[in-house]
Amino acid sequence: MKNHITSYLLILIVLLAYTQQAYPQKGNEEKKDYAWQKWGPTTGLSGGGFIVRAGYVIGGTTPLPLPAEVRKINSFSPRGGVSLGIDGYRMFSKRWGISLGAHFFWEGFHTSADVKNYYVWLEQEGEITKGYFTGNNVTSTEMWGVTLPLLATLRMSPRWNLSFGPYLSYYFKQTFTGVVSDNDAGVGYLREDTPTGAKIKITRENPTPYPDDFADNMLPLGAGMEFCFDWKAMRHLNVFGKLDWGMTNIWRRDFEAISFKMFPIYATIGVAYRY
Amino acid sequence: MNKASIAVLAVPLLLAACIAAEKENTECDIESVSLHLDSPTNFFYHEYDTMQAVISTETSVVFTIRSYVDINTVPTTLRVTKGAIVYLVAEDGTKTPFLNGSPVDFSDEAVRLFHVVSQDGAFSRDYKISIVHDKPSDGNLSFDYESYHLDSSGKFYVWDGPDFFNDGTWKNGNPGFKICKSSALPMDYPTTPAVGAGPDGSNCVKLETCDTGPFGRMVNMRLASGSMFNGIFDVSNALTNPLKATLLGSPFTHKPMQLRVWLRYERGSVFQDRNGAVVNDVLDEPDVYVVFYRNEDALGNKIVLDGNDVLTNPNIVGLGRLPHHYNPDGSDQLSNNPIHGVTDQWQEFTIPIVYTEEVDATILENKGYSINFGSASSWQGAFFIGAVGSKLYMDNMRLFCE
Repeated sequence: MKNHITSYLLILIVLLAYTQQAYPQKGNEEKKDYAWQKWGPTTGLSGGGFIVRAGYVIGGTTPLPLPAEVRKINSFSPRGGVSLGIDGYRMFSKRWGISLGAHFFWEGFHTSADVKNYYVWLEQEGEITKGYFTGNNVTSTEMWGVTLPLLATLRMSPRWNLSFGPYLSYYFKQTFTGVVSDNDAGVGYLREDTPTGAKIKITRENPTPYPDDFADNMLPLGAGMEFCFDWKAMRHLNVFGKLDWGMTNIWRRDFEAISFKMFPIYATIGVAYRY
Repeated sequence: MNKASIAVLAVPLLLAACIAAEKENTECDIESVSLHLDSPTNFFYHEYDTMQAVISTETSVVFTIRSYVDINTVPTTLRVTKGAIVYLVAEDGTKTPFLNGSPVDFSDEAVRLFHVVSQDGAFSRDYKISIVHDKPSDGNLSFDYESYHLDSSGKFYVWDGPDFFNDGTWKNGNPGFKICKSSALPMDYPTTPAVGAGPDGSNCVKLETCDTGPFGRMVNMRLASGSMFNGIFDVSNALTNPLKATLLGSPFTHKPMQLRVWLRYERGSVFQDRNGAVVNDVLDEPDVYVVFYRNEDALGNKIVLDGNDVLTNPNIVGLGRLPHHYNPDGSDQLSNNPIHGVTDQWQEFTIPIVYTEEVDATILENKGYSINFGSASSWQGAFFIGAVGSKLYMDNMRLFCE
């Protein structure tokens, strides 16, 4: 997973370098000040205002790092993908400010993965099926909710803002469905209880779905860190990208069906109206 | 390329980059055992008898040779889980790595122990392999269902049967029920002993159609009929292809003519289809049958009947069954006026075995025919259709041969 974090850091560094080149140190001070004024908040350099954001959300809810039980991602597609929100912001100086927002979202994904020796523990009305599954696992999740980010904003250049800080999410509704079956090589079976237990085949002709109430084990609250960049394309229009990196497990602590923690990591790309 | 499509591509690529190194295998099964003999039929009844597939719940493999031959060392090949290591365990417990194709001393019906260790070294299983002489079985059999015990998991009961049955035991659908109803106690299973409930006050066997609970609904197998048969229950197929999970019959060297059995039936009141929907105007029926079939095809391949064709396979030569209604095409007909005649009072039933083909005496002597005894509390239970609560009590079954 180090690769993953490194990738995002690299993207940030590239963005920083780009902004430095786009606005070289040459030119007279007045012109520079004018640019800072022109692209600044509504009143002077240290004013405040609102930003209304609309974006497309893509990402996944994933264990970090991916456990060795996951052997291959066969497909991935986003579900939902809408984010609408508003931020109130205030700049305290030329460079620094804060913002507080409320972003309503509908996000999710659908993925098919080959797994090996994946521990499953399913309970329904007191009946328990558990063991080690090898085969294909298809998972879909969708979440509707609101994220409240409290961010520090660094104005890196007249037109580029970088914001970062913690957020809290509240989910109005969550779904988590899935099905296990055989993979493309025709392998699909559960070893009951232990790897030496009864071998029970599971194929796509008669796949085994996750229980209906699986999502009831999801927590309604989550928290994480948000990173957001804004580029002021026009006087009132921003292009933005943000990453919400969930740092709390989506599952209740006593939920044993999934043996690892899972975190929502979703990126949003969109446009914002700023005033 | 816009940013959204870059992101769509980037996520799986990032995930793919995060796939961790594959862990070593944890399984350690012997999947099949093959014996290498120059002239197998000198020792075995069928050429195919030199190879046995081992189902995942079995750790004992027994080959049967003709009663009058002796066997010493036999080159043996074991197919095991990828990466697993096999050891041959000597009588003093010392383990030596076993190489496929090495000769193993099976003389004097010695039971050889094999220890299989998984690739990751964390799991192991012990297997017993032996070659025994065929013991001629009696033709006339009687079963009183008095000898039963809990299975190795302690979850459900199994009944002892004659030696010529696979493992010397009766089989039933209880291992399948266990997958769905982990919380069930031994007496909650579809096939249970009924202590003192027989017609003569002795123990009998009770087959009951049971609800399989939330997991049963999840996999669309909402009920489990009580059952008794001889053969193999391969639990690996129980969820995928349940009709294939029951491998029915055991080689038998006598020509069966008639089955007599004491029966009592309490019918469940609500008949349901596979989806659990109530079907009105249909009554559940019990089933008891005997099937006698040729267990080898013209090319020498093994024929084993399963739930799909136990009553229809063209290799069947003789059949006896409780009376039922049938459609013009021969398929089972559901009805509201069953003719099986089994009531809630004990009665002895006589079921003649009707032959559609001559039985060849030489083939019979060489175990070329198999017999299957089948019974169920819901005659359509194999298709997960019936009435929850139907109970068939069965005792003192007798087979009469020519």
